[in-house]
Amino acid sequence: MDYEISLLTTMSISVLFALSLNLITGFCGQISLGHATFLGIGAYVTALLGKAGLPFLATLPLSMLLAGAIGAVVGLASLRVRADFLAVTTMGVGFLFVGIIRQQDWLGGELGISGIGGSGLSKTGFMLLALLSTAAVAALCLYIRASWMGRVFNGVAEDEDTMRVLGIDVPRYKLAAFAIGTALAGLAGALYAHHLQFIGPDSFGFVESVTVLSMVVVGGIGSVPGVVIAAALLSALPAWFQFIGDYKLLVYGGLLFLMMRFSPGGMAGLMSRFFNPVQTSAKGER
Amino acid sequence: MNMTDQAVAPLLRIADVTVRFGGLTAIDRVSFDVHPGELLGLIGPNGAGKTTMMRSITGVVRTTAGGVELDGVRLDGMPIERRIRCGLSLSQQLVKPFRGMSLLANVALAAGSAKTSSPLKSLLHLSRREELAVAREMLERVGIAQHAEQNPAIQPLGILKRLEMARALALRPRVLLLDEPLAGLNSKEANALSSTIQDINRQGVTIVLIEHNLGEVMRICSRLVVLDNGRKIAEGAPRVVMNDPAVRAAYLGGDTLASAAADQSDTTTACAALGGQHA
Amino acid sequence: MLALELVAQGLVQGSIYALIALGLTLVYGLLRILHVAHAALFTLGAYVGVMVYNATGNLPLAFALAMVVAGLAGVATFRLAYQPILSQPPFVALIASIGLYIAAEETFRVVFGASGLSFATPPLQGQVALFGGIQFKTAELMVMLGTALIIAALGWLQTRTRVGVACQATVSDPQMAESFGISLRKVRDINFFVGSALAGFAGVWVALLNNLVEPTMGSVPSYKALAIIVLGGLGSVRGTLAAALVLGVVEAFGTIYLGKLLDRNAIAFAFLILVLMLRPQGLFATR
Ligand SMILES: Nc1ncnc2c1ncn2[C@@H]1O[C@H](COP(=O)(O)OP(=O)(O)OP(=O)(O)O)[C@@H](O)[C@H]1O
Ligand SMILES: [Mg+2]
Repeated sequence: MDYEISLLTTMSISVLFALSLNLITGFCGQISLGHATFLGIGAYVTALLGKAGLPFLATLPLSMLLAGAIGAVVGLASLRVRADFLAVTTMGVGFLFVGIIRQQDWLGGELGISGIGGSGLSKTGFMLLALLSTAAVAALCLYIRASWMGRVFNGVAEDEDTMRVLGIDVPRYKLAAFAIGTALAGLAGALYAHHLQFIGPDSFGFVESVTVLSMVVVGGIGSVPGVVIAAALLSALPAWFQFIGDYKLLVYGGLLFLMMRFSPGGMAGLMSRFFNPVQTSAKGER
Repeated sequence: MNMTDQAVAPLLRIADVTVRFGGLTAIDRVSFDVHPGELLGLIGPNGAGKTTMMRSITGVVRTTAGGVELDGVRLDGMPIERRIRCGLSLSQQLVKPFRGMSLLANVALAAGSAKTSSPLKSLLHLSRREELAVAREMLERVGIAQHAEQNPAIQPLGILKRLEMARALALRPRVLLLDEPLAGLNSKEANALSSTIQDINRQGVTIVLIEHNLGEVMRICSRLVVLDNGRKIAEGAPRVVMNDPAVRAAYLGGDTLASAAADQSDTTTACAALGGQHA
Repeated sequence: MLALELVAQGLVQGSIYALIALGLTLVYGLLRILHVAHAALFTLGAYVGVMVYNATGNLPLAFALAMVVAGLAGVATFRLAYQPILSQPPFVALIASIGLYIAAEETFRVVFGASGLSFATPPLQGQVALFGGIQFKTAELMVMLGTALIIAALGWLQTRTRVGVACQATVSDPQMAESFGISLRKVRDINFFVGSALAGFAGVWVALLNNLVEPTMGSVPSYKALAIIVLGGLGSVRGTLAAALVLGVVEAFGTIYLGKLLDRNAIAFAFLILVLMLRPQGLFATR
């Protein structure tokens, strides 16, 4: 039973994390190759503040705040660059983050921080908290999608120049996407730290950034249900199929490639092609 | 300059605008005023710099020198979206509809500008009822309401041009800038749409119209500004401008100038000839 | 003295970066794809080089085969992976490329083992002292020389041969080039072949310098090469060369003076971010 509870918690945190990236990359069209950084910021904030004696629940908003604030700064910086430059810049932010953590003893350095805990909740309680947070975030995403913000994001993702001619302050919307998405990643990070009770620089590196991107892409960029399903499946895959454990990255990499090569719309794209093969499906709006 | 010019302050003032792309001077110290309520035609041969002029007014293209004022407010240095929110609106020559949504949703997105002025505001609004109603009205106005639910990806140019115009109208601008709205339409459709443009103008929207269909331009514009090679070569009442030898030269090319001017004393036939060449 | 030594070290590293980034720039200039999987060809070249040398003891042959195999694998990558998705938005190819790279890296691990291969008797390991006392490995000198030669040769080919001119024309205006009867397909194949062969060439040099090839040897260069082509202004060959050398030197100095604060990769990317904030179009972009 313990095993199932732990697995469900892991899956739930992955889904939350993937949804947070989906907001930036899926909704607003801003590609990020360094999203694990914000998972890391959330995790480190809660770990350090927890060690300093702050109660777990009080650290959650602070994790979100710092992750979101740094996310907004990164967003601000990336306003200066576009598309391909943005991908490489966000990747750089990821390497910078890991590089800084590695060299700082007070952040645990190479060894990381262990013995995090004291959420004060039972394992089941913590799982419920994770599930609840994830459900809330999924609901928020659906709400945003249906709101005017979602419509603007959609337009920015497709053609930001035209959006500006329609009077949309594109930079501010991009910043909003970065701030919300990274704050949610911070929440995921805080949960992650308390779930595993250990964090280190390698938990938040480029591979993790690509992994979460692969969840979004495999689910179908922008599709909330698609991303939820893909993140849940991909995070559980290594646990369900023990033999995959050793080939986890091979599977991820291969999936990512095959998905883009044969179905750039991800699972959501596959589904809609399957159910209405004639219409060239339009996402979101109808 | 006549009396009315001095009597009313211009709504849009273009002062000595120059635009360079690298070595090419696309606009060379062009000045003109747009008066409140007028329908100004901006014409000139291909490559004259008309589109560039429009794009520099809206800030899509940076001016190298000179200034643009809307109702006494200097627009220079403002980003595009702020100029739009000051009351400008641009219907572009190259149409770029959002392909992921229906024509109606395209126009509704523009109609929602009050709800999208800031991210926070946009987050607090869900309903699109009013905007859809406005969008439908705009589509009706430009005559493509029957295509409202369709995807722009499958539409011909004529419909997309009108979609572009409906989107610009949905912003409820004070000055509407139209870049070749009649392109891709047959003569009956063009006639209907230019009458619509005239109606919109009569309802109080100031309009700057770029158009190669000179017949329609002559029919609806109250005044013309002519560009050639990035320079303003004439300005004034349509009939006067059309008889200006410099304008004829620009349209017909240097050599044919004399004979063309001699043959055609009647302005309307001259216009038909010019229109025929460049439509 | 230390400064000179650091410059020398930086140039050695920079030459390797240049060889890898050059192929990436060629691909970017032609197709606007951030070709992350390029680094897999670098690794492939290194494996081929070590295996051929260990089997034959013939270093030139090892280089030649590494380049040919990497080059052909590059063309295959283009035909099978990129060509069918060229019309998709750019992130599609980028993500496909990342997936391909990860899968390739894992394949190397599964096929050749995680611990990697080394030379049975590593060649070019002698020490040479230059400029009044700076110690170089022979291999280090050779890599700088080799890079300079191969880049000069490429420059010559590009301006003096029909194929080279066709390639250039295609980069600056594909439609125009096609209307002049240049086969886009051929030009793309050639570009992938040449770029990938250069990566293979670099792979063998890195194998020589470290006397080790391992599955993950491509990961750091692959991301850093992306940083380099961005620094160089995306798509500019000269910018890429300059950026590669500059980055090599910045890293060499950075690890000494900033090592307490940041690790080597972080220094490279901190530099990248700093430059992009000041010059969003890259260090050496012409426009
Ligand atoms: N972004 C740009 N970069 C470089 N040159 C440009 C750019 N935009 C326009 N030009 C050049 O500026 C000149 C004016 O072009 P513009 O599109 O404004 O003309 P136009 O009067 O609108 O012509 P048309 O009637 O064909 O639409 C042309 O020579 C054109 O090639
Ligand atoms: Mg034009």
